[in-house]
Amino acid sequence: MDAPFVALQDLRKSFGTTDVLHGINLEIPQHAFVVLVGPSGCGKSTLLRMIAGLEKIKHGRIVIDGEIVNRVHAKNRGIAMVFQNYALYPHMSVRENLAFSLEMLKTETSEVERRIKTAADILQLEQLLDRLPAQLSGGQRQRVAMGRALVREPKLFLFDEPLSNLDAKLRVEMRAEIRALHQRLESTTIYVTHDQVEAMTMSDIVVVMNAGRIEQSGPPLELYDRPATEFVAAFMGSPAMNLLRGRVVRADGAPAVDVGEGLFLPFDDRAGVREGMEVVYGLRPEHLAISPDPASGLIGEVALVEPAGWETHLHADIHGRRFRAISTERLDVTPGSRIALAPDPTRVHLFDGSSGARL
Amino acid sequence: MTSVDDSPELPPLPRDRMADFKEGVVPYLFVVPGLLLVFGILGYAVVGGAILSLNETDMFLNKTFVGLKNYRDVFSDPRFINALWRTLLFVVVSIALGIGMSMIFALTLYRVTRGKRFFRGLSLVPYFVSGVATAVMFRFIFTTSGGFANSVLSALGLPTPSWLGDPALAFMVAVLANCWFMVPFATLILLGGLQTIDREIYDSASIDGASDFAVFRRITLPLIKPMMGVSLIWVTYISFSTFDIILALTAGGPQRATELLSIYMFETAFLELNFGAGSVLMMVLLAFNTALSVLYLKVFVMGDHRRKLEK
Ligand SMILES: Nc1ncnc2c1ncn2[C@@H]1O[C@H](COP(=O)(O)OP(=O)(O)OP(=O)(O)O)[C@@H](O)[C@H]1O
Ligand SMILES: [Mg+2]
Repeated sequence: MDAPFVALQDLRKSFGTTDVLHGINLEIPQHAFVVLVGPSGCGKSTLLRMIAGLEKIKHGRIVIDGEIVNRVHAKNRGIAMVFQNYALYPHMSVRENLAFSLEMLKTETSEVERRIKTAADILQLEQLLDRLPAQLSGGQRQRVAMGRALVREPKLFLFDEPLSNLDAKLRVEMRAEIRALHQRLESTTIYVTHDQVEAMTMSDIVVVMNAGRIEQSGPPLELYDRPATEFVAAFMGSPAMNLLRGRVVRADGAPAVDVGEGLFLPFDDRAGVREGMEVVYGLRPEHLAISPDPASGLIGEVALVEPAGWETHLHADIHGRRFRAISTERLDVTPGSRIALAPDPTRVHLFDGSSGARL
Repeated sequence: MTSVDDSPELPPLPRDRMADFKEGVVPYLFVVPGLLLVFGILGYAVVGGAILSLNETDMFLNKTFVGLKNYRDVFSDPRFINALWRTLLFVVVSIALGIGMSMIFALTLYRVTRGKRFFRGLSLVPYFVSGVATAVMFRFIFTTSGGFANSVLSALGLPTPSWLGDPALAFMVAVLANCWFMVPFATLILLGGLQTIDREIYDSASIDGASDFAVFRRITLPLIKPMMGVSLIWVTYISFSTFDIILALTAGGPQRATELLSIYMFETAFLELNFGAGSVLMMVLLAFNTALSVLYLKVFVMGDHRRKLEK
């Protein structure tokens, strides 16, 4: 592989006595759309602000396009950032907002005009150029914030939860728009969100963070199919993976996990898993098949039915344990119905009971 | 009920008179007494002053209507002309110095993170020191022999001027004393304005490559415009009416260099017992204050971007 476009090497950060980042290492290839995802407070914004040059780096290194930028001012890092609250200058018109950074760089007027026009074309801002930010809708402000990043023609785009202030429908639209923009401009992008759906749908590479550490990074489906830790397994996917603690046993010669209450969950044999190990048994809802035949699986009692249109989400109790299952068929069940659920033993994830690492 | 409409009509909801009363009347019941009090006292003073300014009053407070005679007398008095120019100069220099200092203090306090409350509290202390005590303190600093300023200057081998004896220097000391009193409050007003600005805006400006000066001029200043207007009103008002500090500090001297309209008004009304002329001066001060306040409100508060939207 070529040299990475952005490299983060052993980045650490503390605010006073609280350590927020504990040694972040990450390499980002050119043109990639990278999504940093993790629960609130895990240090995503802090990491992004360090890359942007808004937080001092006391430990570790950041390399952008072959240059160590630890001591380079934010304005000279060739980056542009879109903030969660847009951070538009409220007293300036859209046009002035777009022009501000170029003015600060003493760009020629004709060039400023050209760049504003290009950005306005791409983001459909022509009609809005003379308005003040307060006269725009949330989605329009979002586009202006992106336009302001665009006119700088940056090497690296940084987004910090740019869609979290929009309603659900607009969020889906803007998601597609940002992706389309990336496909068109191919500029390397780091995008922060706490929404794993955004992470899955938008990214070339997902980086899952937890408590100041990277849990796993890679293509989204790889993380979905082979989560490296129990945390990633629980975080990625909606509805979330079923995770149950138990002990590895052999039931009638076949390997299974005894999760208590007389419930044995089957899995396919694999290297490194021995009888007696404490493990976490993981199974995605879509791999818990719902069958009409009671003889074919574990008997569960339906607790909750969530019709989501083309699929139905079920919550069912098996031996007093709550499971989530998905069916793409219209099911004729109501809370209290008894159904048979069959785990697919080939799709089971096992994690070490103490470290949470994938087995 | 006779309805020509043939669709079945919902009966109107019974009016909840209690709710109407609570929403429509009660708030005013709370506001009105305060308003009456404020406008009553203010109106009484203004109207009373206006009437007094048109009368001659003898020592038994008997009034004789004299028309605009008091105005003619006052406006042609060289002492008035001197006080007027002194006051305008005093106000202009006080505004420039006072707002400048307030802005610097506000920006500094904004950046202070450790001991924030302590410093903000401390910064208000001058505001709570009485005018006379302030004057005494400034006298202590600027007394020619043995004063703090001159002790320092002589220790450094520099000339030791007669601060309160020299007209120009005494004027500057008076301006400083005035600033000492009014800057703390103006600082807090501006600080309040600074704190309404989203920090992300500064981050964005930093990435956009704006220098500290550009950020201040292009972003901070326009965004605190309304607060700037309010602190200008405060500083202007205080500078026009400052009185006790100056009286105790210089008593208007030397050579009437610090004889401001407020001092002149006090002497005319209460020492010479010329209430007519004193009221004329009060009307002049009122006119300046009102005119400038209206101007500030128009330019800074109404002209703010938030207001522009409402058009
Ligand atoms: N300036 C600061 N001073 C002190 N602590 C801070 C500061 N900024 C962030 N923190 C702390 O650092 C931790 C990580 O914050 P950060 O904003 O990076 O989280 P995040 O992952 O972006 O969360 P969210 O999804 O809620 O935005 C939090 O515990 C936060 O309280
Ligand atoms: Mg954040």
